[in-house]
Amino acid sequence: MIAQIFFSLLLCSVFLYAWIEYRRSPVVAVLSSIVALAGLYFVWVPSHTTRLAEFVGIGRGVDLILYTWVGISLLVILNLHLKLRTQLEMITVLARTIALANPIAAPAGLGHPLAARISNSSDVSASRRQARNEARAGGPGRRTRRRGDPSA
Amino acid sequence: MEPALQPNLWVICAAYNEATAIGRVVTELVRAGYRVIVVDDGSGDGTRDVAAAAGAHVVAHPINLGQGAALQTGIDYALSQGADVLVTFDADGQHRVSDIPRLAGALRRERADFALGSRFLGESSNLPRLRRWLLRAATVFTRLTTGLRLTDSHNGLRAFTRKGAAAIRLRQNRMAHASEILVEIAQSGLRYVEVPVTIEYTAYSLAKGQRIGDSVTILLDLFAQELYR
Repeated sequence: MIAQIFFSLLLCSVFLYAWIEYRRSPVVAVLSSIVALAGLYFVWVPSHTTRLAEFVGIGRGVDLILYTWVGISLLVILNLHLKLRTQLEMITVLARTIALANPIAAPAGLGHPLAARISNSSDVSASRRQARNEARAGGPGRRTRRRGDPSA
Repeated sequence: MEPALQPNLWVICAAYNEATAIGRVVTELVRAGYRVIVVDDGSGDGTRDVAAAAGAHVVAHPINLGQGAALQTGIDYALSQGADVLVTFDADGQHRVSDIPRLAGALRRERADFALGSRFLGESSNLPRLRRWLLRAATVFTRLTTGLRLTDSHNGLRAFTRKGAAAIRLRQNRMAHASEILVEIAQSGLRYVEVPVTIEYTAYSLAKGQRIGDSVTILLDLFAQELYR
């Protein structure tokens, strides 16, 4: 009974984790929830676990629970990986902002060996907004495909 | 050489440790009359100084982020400068400057917003056989996932109109950006056209280019993005 309660608490915490993560990553949250629910069921109905384990060829019910736990761990690792990606995206935005704030512009005479640093950079986000608005105003175009270029 | 067709055409070069090649590439582009923006992606070999000396505008990432991130930075910069046409051009010298007027011309003639270079409609010298097969497989993958009927899905030589560039927002920092661009093109519903271009593979460009194993990384990156939007 102690082991059942212990594993139930752990699996409930996984379920809670999945619920919290749902907005950020629905796929991981749903998969984690399914695995946690399956784990809870098997913890409390171990006879079914053994029967199912035999059915899928694992042998013992306790092994099936172990595999379930490994599955949960892998999903949590996947979610951590995805979180790192989000952090990288934020770092990218930061690095891009720094880069665009300090451009080195080619002087009026292109090819001049001395480049001039621009002190006042342009508002890039405003420019992008303007370009997007122009694109929307133009409306969606028609997709086409052309092999080759007659001018080539 | 034919001068720039567009009054405000910007060529974007993403560069990481390309000091040995970027000077020649920028010089050729500037001589042809194009405005060049080099995005130095955290190089440690003086790439930015060489590019600036050759006449390019330069923006420098403080850290290495990847080619996709660098291209997006270049697109943002060119749009902020009022670019009407944007061309992405590899910094390792494997693209030909003479292909740029073809791309820009195709945009104008076809009233398209994206002109995508194709080495399989044009020429590619010294292309290794294994890489050729891999590129063919990538083309099939692109057709299945985006519906775009292209002959070359991973060609770095492309041209966008201002409207097209604004419709693209790259989130894949590294090499998966090439597939992401195509997904964004498909989702934008804007017109695209393929144009034959020439790719000249050299020992330098092959050494700097992608490895076969990178294709697995690209697939994983694309899969991870599908999970996490």
